[in-house]
Amino acid sequence: MTTATRLPPVLLAAVVLHTAVFPQLRLFGVAADVLLLLAVAAGMAGGADWGAGVGFAAGLLADCFLQTPFGLSALTYSLVGYGVGAFQATVLHNSRWMTLLTTLVASALGVVLFAAVGTVLGQDHLVAVRLVGIAAVVAVLNAVLAPVAVRVLRWAVEPGKPGLLAGPILR
Amino acid sequence: MALSRRAGRSRFTLVFLLLTSVTVITLDFRDGGEGVVASLRNGAADAFSPVRSVAAAVLDPVGDALAGITGYGDLEDENAALRARVAALEGEVLRNEGAERELSQALSLLDLDFAGDLPRIDARVVSAPISNFEQTIELDRGSDDGIEVDMPVVTGSGLVGRTVSVSASRSVVQLITDPGSSVGVRLSRSSEVAVAEGRGPDALLSLGFVDPGADVDVLELVVTSGLEDSIFPPGIPVGRVASADLAAGQFQQQVELRPVTDVARLTLVSVIDTSGPR
Repeated sequence: MTTATRLPPVLLAAVVLHTAVFPQLRLFGVAADVLLLLAVAAGMAGGADWGAGVGFAAGLLADCFLQTPFGLSALTYSLVGYGVGAFQATVLHNSRWMTLLTTLVASALGVVLFAAVGTVLGQDHLVAVRLVGIAAVVAVLNAVLAPVAVRVLRWAVEPGKPGLLAGPILR
Repeated sequence: MALSRRAGRSRFTLVFLLLTSVTVITLDFRDGGEGVVASLRNGAADAFSPVRSVAAAVLDPVGDALAGITGYGDLEDENAALRARVAALEGEVLRNEGAERELSQALSLLDLDFAGDLPRIDARVVSAPISNFEQTIELDRGSDDGIEVDMPVVTGSGLVGRTVSVSASRSVVQLITDPGSSVGVRLSRSSEVAVAEGRGPDALLSLGFVDPGADVDVLELVVTSGLEDSIFPPGIPVGRVASADLAAGQFQQQVELRPVTDVARLTLVSVIDTSGPR
């Protein structure tokens, strides 16, 4: 099995979890952002290329179910995935704590970035007092789910090869 | 050398993806909620709706338990407040028995539609909001049942929101508590016109553009104004005034509104069919 056959079912499963399962399991009214977690985990498992590529794909899927401008999640998730991958390349020793901490920070930044870019695009209501709470709860929930997500993404992507879209573009 | 080449390739990938995202966003803005992007969204909503319905049915008790744990104190307070409210409403129902008929007659004299006269499409709420930022719900009825975008959604007690996205078998409703929602309203006693804006799931609605000299009473009923170009017919209850305050130097009153419908616990709603001549 290659990435081409492993990644689509992982994305599909993440969409089901993101749209059907986790919205029912909210903490203080906030649900985990599984598709953002996927971008973060791809960055950790496969590097910046994979982080950006999987983040873009996961973001487009998320946008299918939102009323915000189509492409907003794709833009922010690919940036977050790339950032995590670039950061991962500078880390010498990878521990479980590092995985949790990276997910915590990246998820919170991802939520804030989504709101900030959305505001630039005319979605004024995204930046509100509630934003801090949403970012905090998403960060914690995603961090709890991170070990499983990183393990799944390590199985799905092939770090030695170009990312999801880099291969076809650069070939 | 290899490391620098890989970093360059990663940056190229990122730039390509960002440009693609910006192109998609531009396309969405240009289409204005129609075209390829809308078809994609509707297709995704229809494709995943059965899975989401099943998951909602299975996980609902778990979600309720989680909500109960994280909001136990609030639930106790809410329970006590609801008991008091039920007692007050029982008396109010008796006093208001003829009110709807009188309102209907008054509106017909003014040549306006009354929401109670318009056809309705009953629908079941099949899923909670997906996003942490949007206050939306999904209904099990869509364009096949006659639902269109921008139709008001109500329950027996009052306004819930409006349809913002409609596929063949599903509709997405923006709740009045959504921070992007604004509804033209009228204070029932003073007839003062204002705009009710959502502020998030647990917050009261904010009433904007209330004249500083307007006499606003706490618990006063606020209904849709139904002014020209409004998508909401007049007379649909929206909420009751929870607080009214005029700070020094302000040009409008700070008025908060408690919705008459508990939009967090909806199971059945009605979509008002406003597609006919009005």
